[in-house]
Amino acid sequence: MKTFRISNGMFIAMIVNLIFVKAIGVTQGELARVIGSDMWIATFIGMLQGIVIMYITYLALRKTPDRDFISLGSAMLGKWFAALVALVIFVFYLAAFGPIMITYVYHLQEYFLPEAPISLFIIASLLVGALGCYYGLEVIARIALVGLLFIFFLNGLIIIGSTHEFDMRNLLPVLESGLPQTAAASLHFDADWAMATMLAALIYPHVKDVKKYGAKLGIIGIVTSGLIIVIWAILEGAVLSGEVTAQYTLSCMKLARNAHIGNFLQRYEMIMIALYSISALFEVMFCVYATSVCASRVFALKSNKPMIIPVCLILGAFGYWVVDDHFWALKYLEFYWPRVALPIAFGLPVLLLLLRLLFGKKLQKAKPAT
Amino acid sequence: MRTFLLILLFSSMLLLESSCVGLRQINELAIVTAVGIDTGNKPGTVKLSAQIIRPADARGQTGAPAGGTGQPIYSISAEGNTIFDAIRNLGRFSSRRVYWAHNFMIVLSESYARQGIRDMVDFFTRNHELRMNTWVAVTSDKPDELISTITGIEVVPGEAVDKLFRNNQVVGLAPGSNMMNLEEALLSTSAQPVVARLQLQPRGISNKKPEEHGSLKQVELAGAAVFREDKMIGWLTPKEARAALFFLEKLESGIEVINCPNNENRRLTLEFKNAHMSVKSFYENEKPRFQIRLKSAADIVESGCNVPVEQLRDAADASLEKLMKQRIENVLDKAQKQHHSDFLKLGDIFRNKYPQEWKRVGKDWNQIFAEAKFEIETNVDVKSAVVKAAGDGIK
Repeated sequence: MKTFRISNGMFIAMIVNLIFVKAIGVTQGELARVIGSDMWIATFIGMLQGIVIMYITYLALRKTPDRDFISLGSAMLGKWFAALVALVIFVFYLAAFGPIMITYVYHLQEYFLPEAPISLFIIASLLVGALGCYYGLEVIARIALVGLLFIFFLNGLIIIGSTHEFDMRNLLPVLESGLPQTAAASLHFDADWAMATMLAALIYPHVKDVKKYGAKLGIIGIVTSGLIIVIWAILEGAVLSGEVTAQYTLSCMKLARNAHIGNFLQRYEMIMIALYSISALFEVMFCVYATSVCASRVFALKSNKPMIIPVCLILGAFGYWVVDDHFWALKYLEFYWPRVALPIAFGLPVLLLLLRLLFGKKLQKAKPAT
Repeated sequence: MRTFLLILLFSSMLLLESSCVGLRQINELAIVTAVGIDTGNKPGTVKLSAQIIRPADARGQTGAPAGGTGQPIYSISAEGNTIFDAIRNLGRFSSRRVYWAHNFMIVLSESYARQGIRDMVDFFTRNHELRMNTWVAVTSDKPDELISTITGIEVVPGEAVDKLFRNNQVVGLAPGSNMMNLEEALLSTSAQPVVARLQLQPRGISNKKPEEHGSLKQVELAGAAVFREDKMIGWLTPKEARAALFFLEKLESGIEVINCPNNENRRLTLEFKNAHMSVKSFYENEKPRFQIRLKSAADIVESGCNVPVEQLRDAADASLEKLMKQRIENVLDKAQKQHHSDFLKLGDIFRNKYPQEWKRVGKDWNQIFAEAKFEIETNVDVKSAVVKAAGDGIK
């Protein structure tokens, strides 16, 4: 299994990329519709929950660092249980492809190429995704590293372009909807980091120094993502106001449209989108990777490569079905996706941790994963 | 594997064809630099005027360049049932496709603004091409005439008004209302919109007929239109708009003229600087109360008083304090008693301090605001006579 390793930095970059795109793109608008300008607090609360689940994911795999969730399931309860775990993760990433496509397609189509057909964006992204997946996890991880660098540039540009419009009064009063409702709203952000904890569930065995650093790497990834995203939540609340943020599917683009540096550098959202697209394409790549790996485990194949094209077809059809109708897309994003993501993201790591505690002795006798 | 790579390669080549999707060449675009919106001739219709730039004639020179017409702009108008409908009707006679990304301003007629601007804000914020820092103004003149009037030394009128807005804090007599802050105020439950006023004034002097002073109309930025919800309900004079700017845009400086303490027929000009307004809200006996404090420094920039400036200092402090207090009282009176509209965003301050009470009173805020009490305190300190010595005996 361990034919390649990804560095600690790449692992953190993968987590940040996977959470960042949707969290700044559409989640802040969702949060604003529920709790107004307190979206930054909901993001922060969500980040704390993400840290807990990332730690539980690590605990489930701690004694068997050479295994991912699927092979852990296999070692404990046999190949049928492993196939079930693989199927659950497959469903998770298939469902995750909806929000990913909503973020990616609407950014490019609504703001830059309104006359281009949806199929163009889906096919183009899946081609890139399939290519990255074909070359393997190491290539995907390197792209995440580039994506992380671009995310820092992107945050720098938005901070420089927006702070002159910053109005602290728009962020007040704090916790206007109350703490319980703000905490409940954080579930929308939980659905974002859920993709990262599921990523960790699949690729922890490939991380270089996981034995040395333990859960720290995953937690650093969640905290870094949270802090980078909170900057957007604060800016959107203070510059646009909660009421305006709530009006838009892609609230980050509304902020980007308002940003300008001095009088001469205006409308630079195209530059920001170019920086953002690397992370969006990374998300697509990882979705293709995760679904192809899970599908190959369900069908007991040795390599995920034969499954790349079939899963691309499934993902493409599903993505098209989600983004074709904006009303349905928003309903899927705000209603159905959290109901798929959260039970799996919270339930699967907890279930596997409990099973590991129950079947600890059996696990010690099991052969190392191959 | 070879087959897979070939399919991938050919599919990628097919995607290159997408570079033509949505293609718009710059020489095929009608680049709009200003828009006027008025009520149409038929009831319920909208008249939209667009100032379109002629690139060949708008290269920073006046007169007709080779191959040009000498007219830097091309202004057209069309009517429709909605704004989008009117824009589509522009396409009937505009040879080029209308392009909004470089629009500097949107000018609304008073009659249109009084009917409601919600659909206008919706259209321009829904449109991905438009900049959110596009200026928005209301005029009592004809918007189509206003957007076609060449003002200042700029070749393109839209650009000239853009510069008036950019420097609005220098004159400080009108708010810098743009689409971003208009949308924010319109959606807010604790503030009402206020939009700058533009008007045509006979200010220009023709170089060919200098004896006919005022033969050329110029666009003037002064005053503001006040809204309740999305409907315009009245005007603010330039002086009232200045007082509103302390609340809305943290105005720091400006010029004020007062009478000389020793002679009411002579004038003393003061420039207030580093002005800072703080507003605190209180809620007592189910009624809001606001404590407003304005603190500022000032310079004597012109004196016709013919007495040493040191002797003027205390009287100038008191006169400017009184004048500023009066201005603030006037604008508060207009908001509270005349228009019943909290365009000064005092509701925001109250809501931020009393979120629980706001849930109860927020929906009736305009009525509750009308009963609010105000304590106004102004503090001005004249500190400088600019380059002249401020010593004893220097006038």
